Amino acid sequence: MMASIKLQFEIPAKMKTWSLALIGVGLVALLTGLFTKGFSSDEHEQVQFWGTLMYNTIFWTLVCNAAMFFICVTTLAMGGWQQSFRRIPEAISAMVPIFGSITFIVLVYVVVSDKHHIYHWLDHDAVAADPILKGKAGFLNAKFFLIWTTLAIGLWSLLGWRMRQISREADEAPMDAEKGASFIWRNTVRASLFLAWFGLTVGSTIPWLWMMSIDAHWYSTMYSWYTFASSFVSGMSLIALWVIYMKNKGYLELTGQEHLHDIGKFMFAFSIFWTYLWFSQYMLIWYANIPEETVYFKHRVQGPYKGIFFLNLIINFVCPILILMKRSAKRNYTLVTFMAVLIIFGHWIDFYQMVMGSLSKEHVSLGWLDFGILSLFVGLMIYFTGRSLASKPLVPKYHPFMKESIIHQV
Amino acid sequence: MHLKYESQLREPLVDGDKDYHQVTEDIVRPIEAKPTRLWYIGFYIAAALLLFGVYSVYREVTYGIGQWNLNKTVGWGWDITNFVWWVGIGHAGTLISAILLLFRQGWRTGVNRAAEAMTIFAVMCAGQFPIFHMGRVWMAFFVLPYPNTRGPLWVNFNSPLLWDVFAISTYFTVSLLFWYSGLLPDFATVRDRAFTKLRKRLYGIASFGWTGSTKHWQRHESLSLVLAGLSTPLVLSVHTIVSFDFATSVIPGWHTTIFPPYFVAGAVFSGFAMVQTLMIIVRKVFQMDDYITLGHIEAMNKVIVLTGSIVGVAYLTELFMGWYSQNKYEGYTFWYSRAYLFSPYGWSYWGMMACNVISPQIFWFRKMRRNLFVTFFMSIIVNIGMWFERFVIIVTSLYRDYLPSSWSVYYSPTIWEIGFYAGTFGLFFVCFFLFAKYFPVIAIAEIKYVLKTSGENYKSKVGHIEEQPLEAFVHEHAHHH
Repeated sequence: MMASIKLQFEIPAKMKTWSLALIGVGLVALLTGLFTKGFSSDEHEQVQFWGTLMYNTIFWTLVCNAAMFFICVTTLAMGGWQQSFRRIPEAISAMVPIFGSITFIVLVYVVVSDKHHIYHWLDHDAVAADPILKGKAGFLNAKFFLIWTTLAIGLWSLLGWRMRQISREADEAPMDAEKGASFIWRNTVRASLFLAWFGLTVGSTIPWLWMMSIDAHWYSTMYSWYTFASSFVSGMSLIALWVIYMKNKGYLELTGQEHLHDIGKFMFAFSIFWTYLWFSQYMLIWYANIPEETVYFKHRVQGPYKGIFFLNLIINFVCPILILMKRSAKRNYTLVTFMAVLIIFGHWIDFYQMVMGSLSKEHVSLGWLDFGILSLFVGLMIYFTGRSLASKPLVPKYHPFMKESIIHQV
Repeated sequence: MHLKYESQLREPLVDGDKDYHQVTEDIVRPIEAKPTRLWYIGFYIAAALLLFGVYSVYREVTYGIGQWNLNKTVGWGWDITNFVWWVGIGHAGTLISAILLLFRQGWRTGVNRAAEAMTIFAVMCAGQFPIFHMGRVWMAFFVLPYPNTRGPLWVNFNSPLLWDVFAISTYFTVSLLFWYSGLLPDFATVRDRAFTKLRKRLYGIASFGWTGSTKHWQRHESLSLVLAGLSTPLVLSVHTIVSFDFATSVIPGWHTTIFPPYFVAGAVFSGFAMVQTLMIIVRKVFQMDDYITLGHIEAMNKVIVLTGSIVGVAYLTELFMGWYSQNKYEGYTFWYSRAYLFSPYGWSYWGMMACNVISPQIFWFRKMRRNLFVTFFMSIIVNIGMWFERFVIIVTSLYRDYLPSSWSVYYSPTIWEIGFYAGTFGLFFVCFFLFAKYFPVIAIAEIKYVLKTSGENYKSKVGHIEEQPLEAFVHEHAHHH
């Protein structure tokens, strides 16, 4: 078999060209959007531009952060099977500081420039006249928003970076039992810190603050867990895409169908999990039929978003359950690639309707700007994840559980 | 080519120098010996509790629901609290056997049998409460939807209470099948060692004539996988639907969208606590330390701190939304009836917080996770806390209605309500004592399945692989990939 294991990833010229082309297209869209809409005097145009930036950047930040969530969860669960490809989610998670910065800039701009057509609670007069918004002002105010956003993005980046740093120790030299145990232990401590912070941000406050507060009156306790499920299943799909890409380029010899099968199980299971949370939130609101709550779904189910509403369910539930159910599907590179792209697209649509569905209730604006900005983010993701992959060995050779990952039969 | 390699850094799942025969000896021994005095004492106490429960239920059936202290607004009290509590406990077994099977957690083999048994008994106990809460229990069969002569009197398919009937009966059936099909090869083992004709006959019938042929094993394995696949959604569905009993309403404190996943997390939390309580006793009484190792206890404590924290995030989310919604009724329920310590039931909310969220955090520390006394104590604390949770949800949302004129007097149970609850403890432990006496409390066949990859003596023989350089390891072991 192989004499040695390929550790160094050489970025293919094609990948570079493609990612730069996508970024180019994205930049054109961004600038065109900025001048025609962003600086427009029409507030609808402004809202469309900033809203589009918001849902894209929030989506991609959370998806890349989900890759670090995957590393930390498998670390705490003492997983062995993921070691052979763990550098992929690590590289994806290295996008968090980059996308996080973009998110930070966009959100800070929206809040500081008082874009109250996006966040209604920024409008001081409206808040003063509205006892409900006045009551919420302790949470929905610019100062808290900025502090909490800074902390969230900063600590995801820092704690994730620390996880990636410690992982490098597995490149250096073989570990004996004592060193291995201490390595696992330190990994565990760092992973639990990340997860605790993750629970306080992604699992609760951040989706309320960034997205739910667009509908400043509306609330749902499920909202953040739902958002998490959406980003996590997309994160698993992104990992799958990169694993398959690297395999096709002749890397990751120690990762195979068996690992892909398990990643496919995650994509399948968490698609169902997302549906479970979707159903629970929707059904409970529908059943109780309280106007303060149903207002959120009213125009989504019966208004202009009807098509997107059902498309969301078809892509993110019907397709995964029918296509990924079979064992052979999860072991088929082509099918998993197709499903991964579909799932990421589906949840991007989900984020679209979560944000734009609240900002622009009258009509669906999905068009060149959305796909242009998407292209910018996909290009950035490919370019920087590729660079990150090339910057360190592809396999943590001396990880104590590396051998478990090699003999992995599902 | 190996099918599995296990790092030496992982603790063995089976301690000591065991071979297949020794495993059988260790696990079947308690079944073949006469019960100890301790067993008899425990059994009689449980039976006495059960009898008290039977009498309490007799009072309720004969004289009516008035035997309980339920009143105009507190229409659900201890009864439904106990129902949800027992159903929640009944989640660990199937989680261990199904979801942990899918996650390939080898340590489940040490505890799955007893956990599944516990699940079945807990669901049996849970079922008593809604049935007897009906008052006219002889009409209980009305919940079954079938063409009948009662005219328009049919079940209401829109009611989550009816969904409960379907969810729980399905869950019970599948759990029972899962548990029993796993028992077949083990019963056959007990049969083959039988020293009396009667034992041979009874265990022979119980094992459905298992011969241990390859065909039998093959069918057995595929059946397990199919049942695991079926049970996985069931683990989630049961407590989800129990949460719908509350969340579909418009009662403040009940109608909240996070209820389904938060109930499931809480159920797993309480289920594992009960497994810990029972397993620590079983390992002590039957000397099963080699099979239920500290590693097993630690793994379960990790599940407890995880699910406890998830539940904690959910409690805080609800409390936050009680304020954030600026809905006066939600705010009153969460911030006065629950979180205000000096409100009539404030003690129960803080009891719940202390038991479920604050105290389990000690399991972040490895020393605590591996301490048997702490584990046993905490398992009881968590079970108390989870009882409080259901009591908090039910009673604090009900005792003050929208109109102050219909606020109820302070609700506390009568002796017959308490007796009914005590009776289910009796039922649970009578069943568990009988199980421990006549059934292998650890899955013999499954322990044998992990013995050669994760047994202490076998692992020590392959220590040299750990030192092998990666390239050589790949060359030697992964040839056929």
